Amino acid sequence: MMTVRTRILIALAAAALLAGATVFYVSRTTAPSAQSSAQPPRMAAVVPPDGVDRRTLQVLTNGVLGWASATDPQSPRGLTTVKCDRAYTSARTVACLRPVDALVGTKLSLLDAEGNETKSVPLTGFPNRLKVSTSGRMVSWTVFLDGHSYATTGFSTQTGILDTKTDAVVHSLEEFSATVEGKPHQAVDFNYWGVTFTSDDNRFYATLGTGGKRYLVEGDLTARTVRTLTTNVECPSLSPDGTRIAYKSAVDGDPKKGWRLSVMDLSTLRSTPLGETRSVDDQSIWLDDATVAYALQRDDGVNDVWSVPANGSGQPKLVAEGANSPSLTH
Amino acid sequence: MSSRKARTARTAGAVLGAVAVAAATVVVVASAPTAAAATTTFTPVADTYVDNGATSTNYGTTGQLGVDGSPVKRIFLRFTVSGVSAPVTGAKLRVHTDDVSGSNSPAGGTFRALSSTSWSETGTTWANQPSIDGTTLGTLGAVSRNAWYEVNVGAVVTGNGTYSIAISSTNSDGADYDSRESGSATAPQLVVSTDSPTTTTPPTTTSQPSGDPVLVGAGDISNSGSGDTATAALLDNIPGTVYTTGDNVYNDGTASEFNSYYNPTWGRHKARTKPSPGNHDYNTSGASGYYNYFGAQAGPSGRGYYSYDLGNWHVVSLNSEISMSAGSAQEQWLRSDLAASGKSCTLAYWHKPRFTSGADHAPSTATGPLVQALYDYNAEVIVTGHNHHYERFAPMNPSGSADSSRGIRHFVAGMGGAGFYNFGTIQPNSEARNNNTFGVLKFTLHASSYDWEFVPQAGKTYNDKGTTACH
Repeated sequence: MMTVRTRILIALAAAALLAGATVFYVSRTTAPSAQSSAQPPRMAAVVPPDGVDRRTLQVLTNGVLGWASATDPQSPRGLTTVKCDRAYTSARTVACLRPVDALVGTKLSLLDAEGNETKSVPLTGFPNRLKVSTSGRMVSWTVFLDGHSYATTGFSTQTGILDTKTDAVVHSLEEFSATVEGKPHQAVDFNYWGVTFTSDDNRFYATLGTGGKRYLVEGDLTARTVRTLTTNVECPSLSPDGTRIAYKSAVDGDPKKGWRLSVMDLSTLRSTPLGETRSVDDQSIWLDDATVAYALQRDDGVNDVWSVPANGSGQPKLVAEGANSPSLTH
Repeated sequence: MSSRKARTARTAGAVLGAVAVAAATVVVVASAPTAAAATTTFTPVADTYVDNGATSTNYGTTGQLGVDGSPVKRIFLRFTVSGVSAPVTGAKLRVHTDDVSGSNSPAGGTFRALSSTSWSETGTTWANQPSIDGTTLGTLGAVSRNAWYEVNVGAVVTGNGTYSIAISSTNSDGADYDSRESGSATAPQLVVSTDSPTTTTPPTTTSQPSGDPVLVGAGDISNSGSGDTATAALLDNIPGTVYTTGDNVYNDGTASEFNSYYNPTWGRHKARTKPSPGNHDYNTSGASGYYNYFGAQAGPSGRGYYSYDLGNWHVVSLNSEISMSAGSAQEQWLRSDLAASGKSCTLAYWHKPRFTSGADHAPSTATGPLVQALYDYNAEVIVTGHNHHYERFAPMNPSGSADSSRGIRHFVAGMGGAGFYNFGTIQPNSEARNNNTFGVLKFTLHASSYDWEFVPQAGKTYNDKGTTACH
């Protein structure tokens, strides 16, 4: 039987723990020490507590930043108190699109190991896509814009890029010169979404929606140009070896019918539908050169992270229940 | 296996025969009308535990549930009891210890109810755990490895509903139970006993016997697709007043779209329709296509807000596509309209939602002054659309906090026919969501309460209904 004194002590301990858990909980038992820049970021070190060596995914659990195993769906999870509508990490750059506040719009936040914001870009719109280049240098995002609805797509987006090395910001890819089907073209109905950078941190792929089509474009950040490569490609995600993209392909070319997760060989532009037949509306990630992972939403709005082989074989496998916005921590 | 008689009450902590229990893992339906009693077994809809040694770790997907006094581990279980039509005579919670070394304990834990049913299986940690604030149901003594234990939870499980139960312990030698992820054979069970045969009642769409007014509708309705055909067919069988929550036609609110898309479907019910406009209706300058099509039924032309009475209810149709700011003509009109209302219950509808978990359109804070005015005048219900799916919130105050005394229940009823949208981060107090079923949201407006019912398109089963009293 617990004594009153014990109860009070436990209550105090719990209160202290709760008070201390305002931002990232970092698994350490020693007293906090001043963090010098020479120390590695702690966030990537926060792994599920059973100590098994495995890859870890950064995920959102209904908008709360945390971690899950990439290999064991029954493994414990780590949760912070940081809220994001979309998150991505690569090479210790942690990017978060903050939830829209009642008074201000969303913003891109870069976070340090303690969850503190180190950089931010204020944005207008509603968080949709977010990706960090493999090196950790380039951060790209897409937000939905309300208010101007173009008849061809029914929605409007804005896609931007932050160079974390120079702090240069491209506020909208619509500023770039576009070559559509071989001809220079610019139109009021241009919408870009879903950027993925190549390893040189200059060339990238993205989607351009215009004239009722959804093009795969290849872009050049320095030259500020994009050109279309093919159609019916949305939300490309470049494979680790740089030879393929995973993307969502509108069924029969009609987004109203949903999307088939597919992989395209960039040298031939030949496409392979993957073994996931449910409609995937996400910018997928690569767990390795042979495996694609993505979030899939249930009818009640709860998401789960799944994976499927990248060569069209096999069946989807559940990776992390109740989670979305996955990215691999390195 | 059909249980003919409710098991006689056992002392808490008694070890059950594993064979008898294992056989009762699926829903048992006693179909024979002569049966004197029946039991129905439910597995958890969520289970997890928290650990004060890892305060930001979630164990919701693991196969075990740990309870311990040091480090402190607490188990949280949630069950949804549904389809029970006969009076409940008893309820027992059964838990099974892991078949691993160390799962045994001198103390199996204390079982208590808690009021929160919104804690998340994959989001609950020591740091954000719900308060264990309910009645104590029982305490287990020593538990062995690989065995079933039973606690009487009849004090709280008294019928259909959602129930949360926590297990905690002060003994530093903890126990480990199997979670629902361990597989159905050893997952926790809630066994509900009833007086007479338990039958699973399918969702039914009933005609309204009460004679109280019915208000039925949806938003985001007509385009070249067939969703509006499916929802218009539902209206054919539901009498009453029809409301719309905007975006009556796509993409541009033109006269031609009203004539070719809306008129052959929802247009069949135009004579009993009280619409509201949306942003797509306003893609035609001044929403002239909308005002010309609906005429006087849309209120004063070009204004888009008006009110009417149904039984003991005051109903207000508003316009989220023009100024709604405090002091605006619309907000001032709303306040004087509500002040002049002699009705004790109020429902309002318009297009853009103040509260939504949709991924495509953020909550519209611009509608805040309308929500505030309705709250100030004690309104009951707000229905909107814009995000193409269905969502229901608990009664909330204007800033979105749960408010059971004066709160307004918000619905997003954007499932009228246009293609579905995703959900994003699920917002606080969201109680029901669906984005794969077209349908209409029907209100039966009683003298001092309302029933709501999501009526699904033919061939679909999603359903959501309930009753709430007026303030």
